[in-house]
Amino acid sequence: MLGLWIILILACLVGAAAWAGKHRTVKAIDVAGLNFLTPIVRLCYGEEPEKQLKDIGRFIVVPVIAILLFLGAWHVVSEKIQTKSGKLPNPRDTLHAAKAINDFHYRENDKQAAFNLNGEERAQELERVEQRLEELKPLEAEVNKNVAAAKEAAKERLATKVAPLQEELDTLTAKFKDAKKQRDDELASLASQAAVGDEDAKNAFVGKVRAYRQLASDERDRLRDLRTEINDMRAEKDPEEQRALAEQTAIAEERQYLGKMQDQLTDSNRYEKVDEENAKLQEARETLYAADSATILKAATKVAQTEDRIDRIEESGYAKPATLPYQVKRSVLCVFVGFLIGSAIAIPLGVLCGLSKTFMAAMTPFIAIFKPVSPIVWLPIALIVASAFIPDPDKHWFTQWLWELPLLGEYKINPAFIASAVTVALCSLWATMVNTAFGVAAVDKDHINVARVLRLGFWSRLFKIVLPSALPLAFAGLRISLGVGWMVLIAAELLSSSEGIGKYIWDQFNNGASDSFANMVFVVFVVGIIGLVLDRMMIVFQRLVSFDGAPTAI
Amino acid sequence: MAYLELDNVDFGFGPVSHRYEVFERASLAVEQNEFVAVIGFSGSGKSTLVSLLAGLLKPDRGQVHINGKVVAAPGPDKGVVFQNYSLLPWLSVYGNIELAVKQVFPSMKRGERRDYIQHYIDMVSLRGSEWKLPGELSGGMRQRLSLARTLSMKPEVLLLDEPLSALDALTRSQLQDEIIRIWEEDRRTVLMITNDVDEAVIMADRIVPLTMGPAAHLGREFPVTLPRPRDRATLNFNPEFKELRNEVTRYMMNLNEEAKSLTRSVTLPLPDLQPVLPGPRVRVG
Amino acid sequence: MPAACSRPVRSLRLPVCCLIALCALVSNSPAIAQDKNLLDLEKFELKFGFIKLTDCAPIVIAKEKGFFEEEGLQVEVIAQPNWKTLLDNVISGELDGAHMLSGQPIAATIGFGTKAHVITAYTMDLNGNGITVSNTIWERMQENDPDLLASQPQHPISADSLKPVVEELLDEGEKLQMGMVFPVSTHNYELRYWLAASGIHPGMYTKSDIGGRTDADVELSVTPPPMMPATLEAGNIQGYCVGEPWNQQAVAKGIGVPVTTNYDVWKNNPEKVFGVTKQWADENPQTHLAVIKALIMAGQWLDETDDNGKLVNREEAARILSRSDYVGADFDVIRNSMTGFFYFQQTDKREMPDFNVFFKHDCTYPWYSDGVWFLTQMRRWGQITEPKPDAWYHETAKKVYQPEIYLEAARMLVDEGLLDEDKVPWDTDGYKQPTDEFIDGITYDGKKPLEYLKAHQIGNKD
Ligand SMILES: Nc1ncnc2c1ncn2[C@@H]1O[C@H](COP(=O)(O)OP(=O)(O)OP(=O)(O)O)[C@@H](O)[C@H]1O
Ligand SMILES: [Mg+2]
Repeated sequence: MLGLWIILILACLVGAAAWAGKHRTVKAIDVAGLNFLTPIVRLCYGEEPEKQLKDIGRFIVVPVIAILLFLGAWHVVSEKIQTKSGKLPNPRDTLHAAKAINDFHYRENDKQAAFNLNGEERAQELERVEQRLEELKPLEAEVNKNVAAAKEAAKERLATKVAPLQEELDTLTAKFKDAKKQRDDELASLASQAAVGDEDAKNAFVGKVRAYRQLASDERDRLRDLRTEINDMRAEKDPEEQRALAEQTAIAEERQYLGKMQDQLTDSNRYEKVDEENAKLQEARETLYAADSATILKAATKVAQTEDRIDRIEESGYAKPATLPYQVKRSVLCVFVGFLIGSAIAIPLGVLCGLSKTFMAAMTPFIAIFKPVSPIVWLPIALIVASAFIPDPDKHWFTQWLWELPLLGEYKINPAFIASAVTVALCSLWATMVNTAFGVAAVDKDHINVARVLRLGFWSRLFKIVLPSALPLAFAGLRISLGVGWMVLIAAELLSSSEGIGKYIWDQFNNGASDSFANMVFVVFVVGIIGLVLDRMMIVFQRLVSFDGAPTAI
Repeated sequence: MAYLELDNVDFGFGPVSHRYEVFERASLAVEQNEFVAVIGFSGSGKSTLVSLLAGLLKPDRGQVHINGKVVAAPGPDKGVVFQNYSLLPWLSVYGNIELAVKQVFPSMKRGERRDYIQHYIDMVSLRGSEWKLPGELSGGMRQRLSLARTLSMKPEVLLLDEPLSALDALTRSQLQDEIIRIWEEDRRTVLMITNDVDEAVIMADRIVPLTMGPAAHLGREFPVTLPRPRDRATLNFNPEFKELRNEVTRYMMNLNEEAKSLTRSVTLPLPDLQPVLPGPRVRVG
Repeated sequence: MPAACSRPVRSLRLPVCCLIALCALVSNSPAIAQDKNLLDLEKFELKFGFIKLTDCAPIVIAKEKGFFEEEGLQVEVIAQPNWKTLLDNVISGELDGAHMLSGQPIAATIGFGTKAHVITAYTMDLNGNGITVSNTIWERMQENDPDLLASQPQHPISADSLKPVVEELLDEGEKLQMGMVFPVSTHNYELRYWLAASGIHPGMYTKSDIGGRTDADVELSVTPPPMMPATLEAGNIQGYCVGEPWNQQAVAKGIGVPVTTNYDVWKNNPEKVFGVTKQWADENPQTHLAVIKALIMAGQWLDETDDNGKLVNREEAARILSRSDYVGADFDVIRNSMTGFFYFQQTDKREMPDFNVFFKHDCTYPWYSDGVWFLTQMRRWGQITEPKPDAWYHETAKKVYQPEIYLEAARMLVDEGLLDEDKVPWDTDGYKQPTDEFIDGITYDGKKPLEYLKAHQIGNKD
């Protein structure tokens, strides 16, 4: 499915490139900041093949090799880095994690769909689910058997591995115990001698005691080391067993999902419930029509109640848990909201700062003081403020209004979201502000002269000369801001538990399961790639507004 | 009283501690409808002169008059073609001219304005490049655009700061003719800065050299009495033309020698060290 | 007839319902069965918060096994980062209700920490916590008490063998550091109880010392449950008291030894409650009832046993809880305690059928006496700074614990045939029988809080 989409998009791009011709394509690539594609395009047009091949080597093959090397190194290193709290996941684990995250997402989507299925479709889906459940039964039994066997085997392996050590431990324990007893006896007998001896004898006795204490302590250490070794061995996870368990988990999870699907398609299905309620309504109506003056009120109430409930069921939805794709989308939304808020504050202030040295002087202390403040500090403050403005999000007009909006409504913007966005804004606006101020202040003197000769008024001068010439720098600031915002957002979400990538990471960290680290590593890539896309986007904007063909960083 | 007048003007840059005096007691008078060429070495203060006349800079002492009135502020009546073009890089060729036209003739109708702008674009042969950005133009094209923009404001006084320096010889002569034509058509007062004696002789009614800075002033004037229209092809064999050209060049070389001897006299007392010298770099502009 | 709607035969439910409807249509007779869903819900899309601990099970099970849906509720269950945020979110209305520490509604109501009137009509579970110490401390305890060297040492293990370790550290000018999850958590009180029972002073809270370290022999600090094993391994703390799966996690990873469970500290002690704000409960009384009904059903499901007394649904519950949007720990780890086993060491696996109780022993009923016990602990350790009369304890407990709602919900379930009449303590006055099943053998009678306070050596006595 995904592959098909990629091929389709690529085909469209190639078509567009062929239509636009070489120069436009190269230019578009340059604007998009995808310069590594340029040699391929040029090669396609047969331009200096040797040079293009060299460029392809440098800009495509080398990075690919670097990535492969990285994967290899990661694989090797991850095998070595292992603490008791967990193991650094290797690339394969991470890929598995990605798959599991994806499965979870699609399964929840299925459940949601199942909730809303009706008629023939529902019957078909139910049949599919039940059939799969049937198929799963023998598989499950087999997997359970495998797990039991693997556990047994692992236990045996462990036992044989531990046995010699345990034996050593036991013998040593006994030996040391004897030795200690002997020494205690010896000391006891020496004590009586020392008691009557002179000072030297007594001091010598202290020496003896000290020596024996040292011996005892050494012995204790030896035993402890042995015990730790045994414990470590026990704590070590058996790979065979882990594999069997992972298989079992996969099957058990699927079963869980199918069970819930079955439920969503029958008892919990919306239409089922409506039908059920309709039957009840019918019944209640019958009662109503047959009622006398004593019972009519009750009967009428019941009819009204049932009707209300049918209405509600009809508009109810499946309470779907947040899945990673949803969280990613919400995070991106959040970063943009924060970015817009930040820019809305930063750009006007930056312009004022650039225009007026006095204003700049007034702002400098604030910029200096607030700029280095960490998101961790802003967030609680933002949370308090957001919660104060929206005391009861379920009823507040603002959130109600937001939740009714066509596209945004889905993301349930709440105070935690707003607080995260505000934190993003507060942390990211500085780059934009400073850059805008700088850009405005550094307008070319010649351009100002043109404005003076033309006798432009304040506003025309601002909008026709100052802002356009400050734009490239302002956009460079915006680009930095968006990058900072994206970094800050993850931390903000983590703390505010606003549904998003940050919360996902925190939840994973809290899970502490064997696959949690792999999930987190996968999210690292998701975060990185989204950050990259955001940055590329800003580069495109930056290039579009940069009139002097100013170079932009990679 | 002359139409455009620089009256005993002192002007310097920088704070008192390290002040650089560009002009001392500089005076110049340009009659209405006259075409004056100012020539001078690089760094002698030619651009500063233009700025003073345009009102972009204020003299420290003395005054600038136009038509008897003191010049207090710049305005579209004093059109300047800046030495470095001063085009707005985010506006296209058309946009740059449009900005000026809109500002100077706010009541002009849209269609009329389009034709008006197009006329000036055509005038400097930029047709076909209307939508290019200044960054995509060659140096000469930029200079032409800058000229077109200034002309489009229909200024009373045209101040041209080396408007043709970046052009090849062919285009250059073409534009020279164009400027002359416009000048003759509208009979505006023109002050042109140039570094090319030939150009000055061909175009101007009068040539005024600027002495070497610091503390420059306007030197001996050379009226050009060659009849107009001046034909380039025949002019080269005109003895009056040759004479004038040689005279001006000699005068300029002398100025240069003077300046050199001045600086040399400063270096003399110094032993065999090679000092880094203050003062203007000497180059025939 | 209503029995047809209970879970085990629910595949029959659909046809049966249709049949009823048909009968009703044909015979034109009034309905016979009591309708299950006749609560007039004020709100039916709810959000509940939970912390990643196995004792959130009733909420998760009520959702996953459809008990909420049977009540007409669509519930979103959202993991919260820590107890403070959870409580704040409930108070702000962001969440409708949550899995809470027993002490939280009480503390919020009396204004220790965030102030808000929070109530509970449902106790989620009994027991379920453990006290884990690091391997090093365990070894030193073993040195002090060689009996602990046995592969299955005698339980309960008191803090007696820890005391010399604490004293040695004090001599060196250091204090043993231990983690607990929240100032008003059961864990804090249990850990303090366990330490104090052996004469180790865990420190007092005062007006100025809100960290509770005044006079402490052992310093307790707040660490979020999931961070416990990592913090222990990093050496910042040498022990902790926390719920599952974090004790089993320590064993599984070989970084610590659970020395005791709270079952040994106080047999069948109340643990988590389901809390909502008073305001919410007042605005949504029917919804609240529906939620309590679903939770009772979930509790019952969790504690369902076969004829041999084996818990039949726990394996499935563990599977559900191990999903990453719920508790998310490895199935194996969750299963240990959920299915009635507990690993004290790799080699020391014991049966603990009552380690997690979700329904038995009238567990889900909101006992006033539980509230009073937590209040006595808050007073004992100085979180309540002033002495209070007996009556105050009872009044406060009654403000927070709302058995009327519980009983009303239970009555409906009984009427619907989903709950046995004899599983609910209908006639109680809300106080459990006095019990001395504490590690130090002191008798607790919920009716006499002040007497109970006096009976202890360490801590406030009035
Ligand atoms: N803004 C300024 N601040 C200080 N000194 C300046 C400034 N602008 C020009 N000068 C100085 O004034 C002198 C005259 O400068 P000006 O630009 O007028 O020279 P110019 O004759 O136009 O030279 P060119 O032929 O190279 O354009 C120079 O020596 C220069 O160093
Ligand atoms: Mg100049």
